Amino acid sequence: MNLASRRMMDRSFTVLGILSILVMAGALLCLLGPIVIRGVNAFVFRATVEHRQMLAEKYGVGDREAVKRELAQAEQHRTKIYRMISAYEASLEDESYAMRREMGGELDELKDRLRDLLGPFPGDPDPILMREQYGETRWDRALVVKDEVIFREEYDYSDPSAMGVLVHVPRADTFEGTSLAPLFPYLENHLSDILRPRWTFYWRFFTTESYDAHFFGGIWPEILGTFYLTVGAILFAVPFGVISAIYLVEYANPKNPLVALIRTCISTLAGVPSIVFGLFGLAFFINELHVSESKSVLAGSLTLAVLILPLVIRAAEEAIRAVPKTYKEAALSLGAGRWRTICTVILPAAMPGVLTGIVISMGRAAGETAPIIFTAAVSAGGVVALGETLSQPTPALPWNIYNICSEHEAVNEIRHVQYGMVFTLVFLVLLLNSTAIWLRARIAKRLRGA
Amino acid sequence: MSTEVTPFKRRSLTISRSASTRMRISGLFGHGLLLLITSSSALLIIFIFYYIIREALPFFKIRGFVEFFTQNAWHPVGNPEEFGALAIFFGSGMVTLGSIIFAVPIGVVAAACLSDILPFSLRQLTKPIIEILAAIPSVAFGFFALVVLAPLMQNHGGLILGGSVWVVGLPLLFLASWIGAEFLATRIDGKNLPTTRWTLRLVLSVGGLLALWYVAGIFGQMRVTSGTNALNVSLVLGIMALPTIVSVSEDALQSVRRELREGAYALGATRAETMMWVVFPAARSGITAAIILGVMRAIGETMVVWMAAGGAEQIPTPWYNFLEPVSTLTATIAGEMGEADHVTGSARYHVLFCMALVLLTISFVFNFISDRIIGKGGLAKGKSA
Repeated sequence: MNLASRRMMDRSFTVLGILSILVMAGALLCLLGPIVIRGVNAFVFRATVEHRQMLAEKYGVGDREAVKRELAQAEQHRTKIYRMISAYEASLEDESYAMRREMGGELDELKDRLRDLLGPFPGDPDPILMREQYGETRWDRALVVKDEVIFREEYDYSDPSAMGVLVHVPRADTFEGTSLAPLFPYLENHLSDILRPRWTFYWRFFTTESYDAHFFGGIWPEILGTFYLTVGAILFAVPFGVISAIYLVEYANPKNPLVALIRTCISTLAGVPSIVFGLFGLAFFINELHVSESKSVLAGSLTLAVLILPLVIRAAEEAIRAVPKTYKEAALSLGAGRWRTICTVILPAAMPGVLTGIVISMGRAAGETAPIIFTAAVSAGGVVALGETLSQPTPALPWNIYNICSEHEAVNEIRHVQYGMVFTLVFLVLLLNSTAIWLRARIAKRLRGA
Repeated sequence: MSTEVTPFKRRSLTISRSASTRMRISGLFGHGLLLLITSSSALLIIFIFYYIIREALPFFKIRGFVEFFTQNAWHPVGNPEEFGALAIFFGSGMVTLGSIIFAVPIGVVAAACLSDILPFSLRQLTKPIIEILAAIPSVAFGFFALVVLAPLMQNHGGLILGGSVWVVGLPLLFLASWIGAEFLATRIDGKNLPTTRWTLRLVLSVGGLLALWYVAGIFGQMRVTSGTNALNVSLVLGIMALPTIVSVSEDALQSVRRELREGAYALGATRAETMMWVVFPAARSGITAAIILGVMRAIGETMVVWMAAGGAEQIPTPWYNFLEPVSTLTATIAGEMGEADHVTGSARYHVLFCMALVLLTISFVFNFISDRIIGKGGLAKGKSA
């Protein structure tokens, strides 16, 4: 092979390497980009007057008088729509039966879409479901619903060999020439007068419970549940993990076959798939030990503790190993016993490293879903008090993310809540991890200084 | 343990026999206690095996082994019930294979780049990417696969497939024609003349371009009927396996001794040649361990497959069709247990433990192999996997 080719191949190897790192960076960006942008949009968004009304009525927050005034202003613009509809309904009475039947159906559909947008019509009976008591609370959703009002979705099957093609048919065509025709351009032009959107920082998203299956309100029970599970897992895993690490580093004779077996066991534990932990938690903690009647925070914490135990052991082991030998030798030469050396010299020196490991394990425990499916998580539930954690299941961020984007009845209408939840979880986990990185950097600095 | 609490200055310099005995006994006692606690954490894995096997056995007693491992029909609530899990095994294998095909080349090359090519400062910038990627919870990946990737694939499937054929194929084609021409030129006249070389390059790249155009055309025509399919999941699982593969193989590459590299450079090898013919072979076992750990990550992942694999317990037709929905062991366990755990004792409940047992065995075997490899010194000692 000649030199030029070899050089070219060398360069292309470099390029391939850099490309593959760029692919990783790109993957990370593609993943985090939508989650961050649309996640922030869950609590910083343009809220309509319906949102303020909902807050005032359900949570008792905001200036009631101002909301009332605003509603009255919005009402002025809405009455025109209501008037148009009732006028059309009245005119329909004079039509033939077939005509009445056909147009009546169309009209009912239109009215339903309008109710989605504006809330119940004046004179409607009070709806039971909260999602029907208010119109669209978010401007971005309102724009989507407005399109549903103006266009009807239909599938075009004119080409029998292909799948149906989705087409949007303007409803204005259906009502052309009737007294309802001006409704559509009016809605298009006056939507912001009708709904009065305003930029809002909705921090209550993080601190309130949800109403009506996440259609309204926030994700506080989920955050709290994740907190309970994580802290519980740490409480169980850390004592065992740190003591095991002390034993393995300071006491165990590496040539002892029992110690080798223990090490193999721990490394196997680290490789067990997370769903298996879930089944184990169900079979052992709930069905065998009966730590609780059925799912509970306690059972979930224990299961998660088993999952993060190898992580804690490994991190603590490394941290203890990293303590300079001279520390230990100095303590022993001063006459301190082995146990005393460990408690007063080695553990304090290893503390930051152990903490780093603990914080990383917390991040892991917070994000795990599979182990808590059968042991701790419920999809619908309110805030669990601290005293109830021994017996009650709890909602938790990872599980509820799955639940509201796979099993919820109206997946498309609460996308913002889903993104908000994912954002919160990712933010929490990355916050924990960056804390760990910061801790590690501090240790490195101190070790360099020493 | 209490003996050493006495302040030092008050203790006499000679230790009485009884005090010495007391110290020894309490020391032994402390040692024993520590051993007990440590082995109890080690015992957990044995507990896991025991409880999973205990719950799995009733199924084998009722239904035997043959159906579970060789049959295709999975109707746990049908009448009659059928528990053929072959298609589910196949689905697990399929998405794992897909993710590995995607992740291993990228991961190993990226590791090489990190360990040998990038300067230190750039490497420090790259580290956080890998760490963040490893830290993101799996449910976030699942959410991404379901909410972002799946609609994208469903609506623009052909475009994406055809586009990626071009993006991946073009640089590879260029490289292949260059190298191929090199070899062929030597073969043909033994002299490797520039004119022969360039003609061959031209012929090969034009031919390759035509082939690529044809293949991309086929892919571009494909209709993705469902965005939640094996391809989607393979991609996302590949991204999830990347951090493991990169960091373990980087450790492996860095533990290859400096002298080997210097020897190769001294013989006049370029960096790529050094990597290809010296460093990679020397780090072979470590890279194998990295791949095994990546496979374990992919095979044990639940949320992504549960959310975005489509959940169809069937072998796709044809079997290599990645655009069809599949289901995996983990997803089946997660999905079925919710309904099955009310009826503890039924075959439907126990069969899920059989699947968990299979998963557990696979992870045990893989873990054992990778431990062996790492323990034998393929990686530097003391490096964590």
